[in-house]
Amino acid sequence: MAKTNLKEINRNIYDIKNKDEYEFKIKKGLTPEIIEEIAKQKNDPEWMKEFRLKALEVYNKLELPTWGPDISELNMDEIATYVKPKTKINDSWEDVPEDIKNTFDKLGIPEAEKKSLAGVGAQYDSEVVYHSMREDLKKQGVIYTDMETAVREYPELVKKHFMKCVPVTDHKFVALHGAVWSGGSFVYVPKNVKVDIPLQSYFRLNSPESGQFEHTLIIVDEGASLHFIEGCSAPKYNKVNLHAGCVELYVKENAYLRYSTIENWSKNMLNLNTKKAIVEKNAQIDWVTGSFGSKISMLYPMSILNGEGAKTEYTGISFAGKGQNLDTGFKVIHNNKNTSSVVNAKSISKNGGKCTYRSLVRINENAQNSKSSVSCESLMLDNISISDTIPVNDIRTDEVEFSHEAKIGKISDKAIFYLMSRGISEEDAKAMIVRGFAYPISKELPVEYAVEMNQLINLELEGSIG
Amino acid sequence: MKNSILEIKNLHVNAKEKEILKGIDLKINKGETHVIMGPNGSGKTTTANAILNNPMYQKTMGQIIFEQEDITNLKTDEIARKGIFMSFQLPEEIPGISVTNFLKYAKNKTTMQPVKVFQFKEEVKKYMEELNMNPKNMERSLNVGFSGGEKKKNEILQMLILNPKLAILDETDSGLDVDAIKTVSKGIEMFKTKENSILIITHNTKILHSLKVDYVHVLVDGKIVKTGDQSLAKEIEENGYNKYKNI
Amino acid sequence: METLKLNQTPVRTSRNFNINNIKLNNVEIPEKVEEFTNLEITGQTNKIKIENNLDEYFLQYGAGDILINQAKSIANQKLKITIDSKTNKDLFLKFQLDKKNINLIDNIEILANEDTKATIYIKYYADEKIQGFHNGILKIFAKNNANINIIIVNLLNAKTNNFMSIDSAISEKAKVNYTIVDFGGKNNITNLYTNLLEKESDCTINTIYLGKEDQLIDINYIGELRGENSNINMEIQGALKDNAKKHFKGTIDFKKGSKKAKGNENEFCMLLSDTAKSLALPMLLCSEEDVEGNHSSAAGKVGEKQLFYIMSRGFEQKEAMKLMVKAKFNTIIESIKNEELKNEINDKIDTILD
Repeated sequence: MAKTNLKEINRNIYDIKNKDEYEFKIKKGLTPEIIEEIAKQKNDPEWMKEFRLKALEVYNKLELPTWGPDISELNMDEIATYVKPKTKINDSWEDVPEDIKNTFDKLGIPEAEKKSLAGVGAQYDSEVVYHSMREDLKKQGVIYTDMETAVREYPELVKKHFMKCVPVTDHKFVALHGAVWSGGSFVYVPKNVKVDIPLQSYFRLNSPESGQFEHTLIIVDEGASLHFIEGCSAPKYNKVNLHAGCVELYVKENAYLRYSTIENWSKNMLNLNTKKAIVEKNAQIDWVTGSFGSKISMLYPMSILNGEGAKTEYTGISFAGKGQNLDTGFKVIHNNKNTSSVVNAKSISKNGGKCTYRSLVRINENAQNSKSSVSCESLMLDNISISDTIPVNDIRTDEVEFSHEAKIGKISDKAIFYLMSRGISEEDAKAMIVRGFAYPISKELPVEYAVEMNQLINLELEGSIG
Repeated sequence: MKNSILEIKNLHVNAKEKEILKGIDLKINKGETHVIMGPNGSGKTTTANAILNNPMYQKTMGQIIFEQEDITNLKTDEIARKGIFMSFQLPEEIPGISVTNFLKYAKNKTTMQPVKVFQFKEEVKKYMEELNMNPKNMERSLNVGFSGGEKKKNEILQMLILNPKLAILDETDSGLDVDAIKTVSKGIEMFKTKENSILIITHNTKILHSLKVDYVHVLVDGKIVKTGDQSLAKEIEENGYNKYKNI
Repeated sequence: METLKLNQTPVRTSRNFNINNIKLNNVEIPEKVEEFTNLEITGQTNKIKIENNLDEYFLQYGAGDILINQAKSIANQKLKITIDSKTNKDLFLKFQLDKKNINLIDNIEILANEDTKATIYIKYYADEKIQGFHNGILKIFAKNNANINIIIVNLLNAKTNNFMSIDSAISEKAKVNYTIVDFGGKNNITNLYTNLLEKESDCTINTIYLGKEDQLIDINYIGELRGENSNINMEIQGALKDNAKKHFKGTIDFKKGSKKAKGNENEFCMLLSDTAKSLALPMLLCSEEDVEGNHSSAAGKVGEKQLFYIMSRGFEQKEAMKLMVKAKFNTIIESIKNEELKNEINDKIDTILD
């Protein structure tokens, strides 16, 4: 596990700021006129324009959450919701403008595509700038494209699923998303097609005082399987940026979907993202999530187990440092017989950072013979940080096996002494234990990402331990 | 003087503000095997931890000299890198670090040299066979879910791989069945050379049946009350510690 | 009737989870109450002083403002119990609601002075036919090195509304052990806040509850650890049948300064029918590094294998079920050192589960 041979990484690669150049940047704030302008810029069909305007009405009616981190610093009048970069969608990295391509090069995206991905999408500010997929998958009928193209080319599929899993009434930021969404990925995997290596979308927000509202819609049809990875980052500006994306996943009968996220937004980002999956009979959704960046995150992926025998696993880690408030967790609704959920959540707080694990497990009346087991572990690296665990367990029938366990504490002095007695320095011993703590999550990621995650941990630990 | 590897002078140690060691003197030469015996609570584990400078124990007086150098207040990892190894009575479980990676890393730290992977693997394989260890354990997390016997064998394996100048074995035999004790003794025999020294800490004498030792020290209530040769261990086996209490 | 919003949690979570507080629409809070005369005090009162005047004190939480204000202004039983005994003394308070004493509003203060010991039993009963109302405050001060056992037994009937607000302030090396038997009440709302103020302060809360028919049980326990090496243990065992519903909210909050403190919370709910409902929120809040916090929570039905085993020894299903529930409750019941009370509780379990 001690990857001492890893080259040191530099936070700078995430912090590259390109000049705020754009073809079009919408006026800040939110009015029906602005929404109409976005619809015009994006060439929306009429139904989508209407959808956006309705979502704005809902947005105006809904209250901010009365719980969780304080997000009062967010002033929507200061956020530009749509920034169109100066390029079109390209299917070759060569055609991507130099400064944008350089950014993705430094983040290692084209390199990763060559080595280990079946397809890549890259979004820069509000628009997707690159999309490509292996030929053999295209031939099998797999669709992987940006969301706007999907709206135009697959209107029936999109209309049937778009914001049906996550309705705009869910909460205020979903309504906002519905009004101003832009970019994102659409994936359709036809029946019984197994996509054996992952697809990845990378989201990059460059423009200051702006928001990213990408929409990801994935349909894995009966008997099919897919691993989808999303990566996110942004350079740090002094003013607040907002990310309010939406992920809708439909996992049909006997299908399998693994959804992995490495989130490393800059530390001025408010990350108010919504992710939900509807899982049908004997299908399975697995979530793997690493949250390292952002100033404030409120992120609780949700699995709705609608079909008999549907399954879900959630494996997540949050790492909050100075000035960060990461409120993350998981929600699962058991809606049918023989469903099961397994949750393994970890968090690390240091340097005044705050991690909250917030969750819901609901086993409904009709979900007889269902199982759920939850395990949460929180690590405190100093005494100026905060770590809270707020799980709700809502059990509405008796034929269930439900258990929940949580632990909170610091790195054991005994474990440090044991490692030091083998000649390992205190600093290394602590880093080793922290990486070991995160291992159950990093082992779920493809190796390049596990390496990136360990690098992020090393980077976060640097100087803070000793 | 030249042959001395470890010398403890008038060592007083507190644990949780209570004095446990009340003035210990001990000298170990190169190639010697010493045993500290004593009833529960006499300060045996404290002695081992004090040598490795575990911060949970405070030294209030005295000195520890290793190869002519004062190591009393060095940090644990520095002491380990000087060539002292301690086999733990209760080895810690560390999730997420595989035994093999841990060993490689520790070897690298103690030798200060890059580990030659092939040679290292062969060496580990050889020792594991000798110790009847399941090779699958190498990829498991360090000590996590290991049985008592597996943990103790893993400690001996680490000792053999790291090859220190002085090995301190704290209750390595406790809780083991007869076969496991034989395996562990075999491991210790493999480690014994003219150069290497061993300090065995134990409250019973089982392990001494299959190991030849040079000196036996009896530790009671924080003090060494008697030193002798292997026959002393035999005597204690027959008569217990009562004779040495309240001296 | 106005809506009562009670038992707020120390930290809010999503409103959709329906657990931040409990709302009751069907409870009438009496504005005036008659004298309550059916209180029986027995036991060893040597070095225990019982008075009827109370100090002004502050409750950190309480079940709800309206209830606290009522108990502070119009209580019909006020007791201040001062403990000066260095050896354990047993004191029994028995409140019996009946036709003439339909409303009980009690305000009890227990002051355990330094180095004292006592076991205080507080029991609530109601005649079967009446539809009573109970609202109580219990405030405990445990001074340095005091060791106090508080046994609260709620055997009220299923028509009476029951509200309890308990609050303890625990000083250096002092111990407060709660044993709570929570069986009665139509709406049964308990708030327990315990403040482990100083070093090596210690609190245990052992609770068993039983719900049947349409009973609603809402439990909100909050332990705040402030002292170094302070320690809290919560063990909550319950069983629900018919349409009974339980909300358990348990918070262990490690405040800054609570170095080497430990907190454990274990909640288990047995579901004896497919319409019973268990909602739980076991919270761990932590702003101190060197602490150890654990919680576990589980729910499910009685193990079928165990049930089969017991039935194979000749027990009917109902009897086997009773046996299983009692087995789960056993450790907590056995910790009560009063045989008569133990039998009474076991008998009550039999009647409720019949």
